[in-house]
Amino acid sequence: MNDQDIRIFITMARRYFEALEPKPTLVIEPPFLRDELGPLLEYTGIIPVSGRCEGAVCFTANGDMLETILALLKDDRRDDAAKRDLVGEIANTLSGNAREEFGSDFRISVPNVIVGPRLSADLRTGGRNYAIPLNWRSETAYLLVSLK
Amino acid sequence: MKLLIVDDSSVVRLAIQRDLENGHIAEVDQAADGEEAVRLYQEKLHDVITLDITMPRMDGLTCLENLLKINPEAKILIISALRDRATALIALKRGARGFLCKPLNPDELREAFELLLTD
Repeated sequence: MNDQDIRIFITMARRYFEALEPKPTLVIEPPFLRDELGPLLEYTGIIPVSGRCEGAVCFTANGDMLETILALLKDDRRDDAAKRDLVGEIANTLSGNAREEFGSDFRISVPNVIVGPRLSADLRTGGRNYAIPLNWRSETAYLLVSLK
Repeated sequence: MKLLIVDDSSVVRLAIQRDLENGHIAEVDQAADGEEAVRLYQEKLHDVITLDITMPRMDGLTCLENLLKINPEAKILIISALRDRATALIALKRGARGFLCKPLNPDELREAFELLLTD
């Protein structure tokens, strides 16, 4: 995984937010490279990746942003279960969409969801850690990529 | 008309149901994985099925084969985040009638659904 590959994930994140609203306001600014994988916000969807790359792709966001997205999706629920479901689905969509560039050997598994800033040891892949800040409607989520 | 929506995300299942609600649909069932989908389909033989691929217990491509064993004429629309050509071709070769990528565009979904109904 290199800086060029990270652009693919940025494109997928832009595409996701463009699908949510006609005039998307997503702002993404570097730097992306980090010593450790993080930060983890209130809800994190983790997609284990195998095949061409080994590691994980995560989408992490606070509850407020997830509630805004649920509202845009015309989903009336605001409970913890809906936010857990949504954060996992966004992680799944962003990583699954990346197969457009990486191909079908970029194998993804079903999402694991964690609540709170816990960092699972199995996320430490030994690869480079990227945190792509997704600034949207006064909130910031992160797309975390740790693959080797 | 009976619709079966198969996806491990309740957010997606509800969005699909909301986007497709119209006069055609008399009954909607939802399944969160392939095993549940096969069980429900055996029971009710839905007219149209929307099917995710990446799911726990039984993935969508395996589920697709099992549904078509029950009814080779089943109308199945794949709705997946897996945006690569190879996966779409595999699904279509195995008998899916269409393939849509997430994030879902409601207009594209309705158009694909109408095409399935007239197929």
